[in-house]
Amino acid sequence: MLKQRTVALGAILLGQIALPLHAAALMGFEDSAMLMTEIGRYNQEWMLNYSPALGHAIGVEQMRMSGKGEQATTISGINYTGLIKRWNMPAAQANVWFNGSVGEARGQYDGFAYTPSLQFDVESTRLYFLAKARMIRAPNMNYDTAAVQAGFSFYETGFHQTQPWFVIEAKTMRNNDPGLQITPALRLINKNYFLEFGVTNPWQGEGFAPRLNAMFVF
Amino acid sequence: MKKLLVTLMLSALTPAAFAVTTIKAEVNGMVCAFCAKGIEKKLNALPQKQAAFVDLKSRVVALQLKDGQDVSNEAFSKVIQDAGYSVGKLERVNQTVDAIQAEVAEAEKAGGK
Repeated sequence: MLKQRTVALGAILLGQIALPLHAAALMGFEDSAMLMTEIGRYNQEWMLNYSPALGHAIGVEQMRMSGKGEQATTISGINYTGLIKRWNMPAAQANVWFNGSVGEARGQYDGFAYTPSLQFDVESTRLYFLAKARMIRAPNMNYDTAAVQAGFSFYETGFHQTQPWFVIEAKTMRNNDPGLQITPALRLINKNYFLEFGVTNPWQGEGFAPRLNAMFVF
Repeated sequence: MKKLLVTLMLSALTPAAFAVTTIKAEVNGMVCAFCAKGIEKKLNALPQKQAAFVDLKSRVVALQLKDGQDVSNEAFSKVIQDAGYSVGKLERVNQTVDAIQAEVAEAEKAGGK
């Protein structure tokens, strides 16, 4: 009974909230900086963070989104990323992350904005799964999102080679149009960069939209 | 005459080969090059480093030390841990990083057949 309640609570939480950025790693290694960006028709986001110690990163973030018939709202804020738990297994790694910003919303909605989120991901050299949830709130504004991703790599590669992946994401965002965004994407991972080219809702004429995600670590 | 020449060459090479010390470890959780870049960066920053090698398929990380220099097993493990991973098996071998790299490549080639 307790287990069922826990699962139900987890499902509700994931149903409420999500992280627009898409990588398994939300920060680099100790004493590194990471730049992440998402450029799509429905949402745009970038974040730059610095990790002073393993498991913690601070930075700045800006995200832009809009609902149907609304003007866009831009949130600019200070961001914190924390690694809650990591499991290093012989052939896989799993993580639970907290990420969130506090800042100011401007546009359709104005005022204090906050965006706490949770992410779980598990990855091997061939398979990948991620579930994420994020509250995106400001006065009278609710763009809470939830997303799941799954993917596979076409083949294993060496440390200095580029590894191609196929990844598909299902994402919902409250008060956003379209409410459900399905994005199949080709992901290229190299030791110097992470690039993802996707098309959101490719079967919808009007909803069809290319999307680019990129990450760089310094 | 040929045998003598080979013997002389081998005897000249052998002491150098035995002088090589490389720390070789199996690393848990190392599944993506982008995420494991920190390991390479931290190993490259070590002044004792002669050469380093990271391989995702075999999960091997190797650090060849400069002559007369040392990094303790604990210090090496900390480098891996600070990059976000954990060390499984760790050993010191008298092989160069190039030799380990060739060995790993050979094993992967054989495994892929």
